[in-house]
Amino acid sequence: MKASDVGTRDSGLGTREPRRGRRPRLFAERVALVVLLAAVLATPAVAQELQVDDFKSDRPTPRTASGKPDLSGYWKGTRQTKPGGNIGKDLPGWKLPLTPAGEAALEHNLTATVDPEALCIIGGIPRHNASGLPFEVLQGANKIAFLYWYSYYRLIPIDANRKHSDDPDPSFFGEEIGRWEGDTLVIDSIGFKGEKVWIDENANPHSDALHVVERWTRPDADHIHVETLIEDPKFYTKPFTYSRTWVLGKPGEEIQEYSCSENNVNRDHLGFGPGPIRKDGTRGYEDPAPLPPPVPRTAKPGQK
Amino acid sequence: MKFKLLAVVVGIVAVALASARPLQAHHSFAAQYDGSKAIRLTGVLTKIEWTNPHTYFYIDVKEPDGKVVQWGLEAGSPGALSRRGFKRGDLKIGDTIIVDGYRSRDGSHLADARRVTLPDGRIVSGASAGDGGPQ
Repeated sequence: MKASDVGTRDSGLGTREPRRGRRPRLFAERVALVVLLAAVLATPAVAQELQVDDFKSDRPTPRTASGKPDLSGYWKGTRQTKPGGNIGKDLPGWKLPLTPAGEAALEHNLTATVDPEALCIIGGIPRHNASGLPFEVLQGANKIAFLYWYSYYRLIPIDANRKHSDDPDPSFFGEEIGRWEGDTLVIDSIGFKGEKVWIDENANPHSDALHVVERWTRPDADHIHVETLIEDPKFYTKPFTYSRTWVLGKPGEEIQEYSCSENNVNRDHLGFGPGPIRKDGTRGYEDPAPLPPPVPRTAKPGQK
Repeated sequence: MKFKLLAVVVGIVAVALASARPLQAHHSFAAQYDGSKAIRLTGVLTKIEWTNPHTYFYIDVKEPDGKVVQWGLEAGSPGALSRRGFKRGDLKIGDTIIVDGYRSRDGSHLADARRVTLPDGRIVSGASAGDGGPQ
């Protein structure tokens, strides 16, 4: 093909005879399509995280027979949750109001503990709400289930008359009680573990004095939202909040089997803490060494 | 024609969005791997573990002095890899593959397989999405 062929009917790229009445696709159009397709295909799946704004929804909130919002669905995180995995996301500079005991607990987590989730220990609440992992909700009349990857779940009674126990046995999700306030499902939780827990991916701490109040809403069919109040007078000088929105997964998407302990080779190789925290509040190296350049497609590993 | 082109473009973008995958990570990349120690390993596959929370495959790498060393290579979970087109059948014992990744901080012969070049020359991502590692 010659340069002068570009944009002509005889560009050399379309040898097939065009159908009657159909204009052959211009070379420029073909190039545009190929470039666009290549760009889409070359974009790593990890970089295709959805934006909440990508899903302007005009579908109304689904409701149960009793008229309450139905929170059921498979919910996926979005790129708008920044910094991901950081429970201080909504605070200025992501600065948590740690007490001296909280500072000591953070230092301990960073220097003397391996990420409990990486050891296949339940992350609990509020960590699961700050996680990048999707989750699934199944709502019944008097009980609601949150299903998580790693085959974890929590079952929460919805009962406005239920009170917390005087001394609940500590657990990772805590003693949870749900109630409706209008169209908002409020989940009030106490009775948390104080050991082998990180409150988020960044190794921030929480104590057994943790009290979490989650306020869940489904403003339309395609979004679920939580406003979380976190109180922990042992480790934090004042309560703080964490809010987040997820988008509805596609039909057929659901939690799959994920046996965390099946082959946890990491157990013997992980260091303490999450590693360095970047300036943007996420985990990782600021300036990692680049990988070697990709092997040209023409050169195959088995060839000399 | 313009309408058709627009329809195709919209369709491609819709497919791209629909194929978006959630972030999933079992552990922070930096908790285990050294971001300053990028490495390329070429070796023969001896074992494949298509398991959670990560897949692992093992290759025999011949060092300059002729000594053969087994390396363990960590990749994303089976579900994450298969969704991006990296299937269990893409790896076969005896294959020679090239792995670009990062060494474990503890100095063991374990590396995070960020990029895998398969015997047919196809390059696939082995990264654990959302782990904070280089993408």
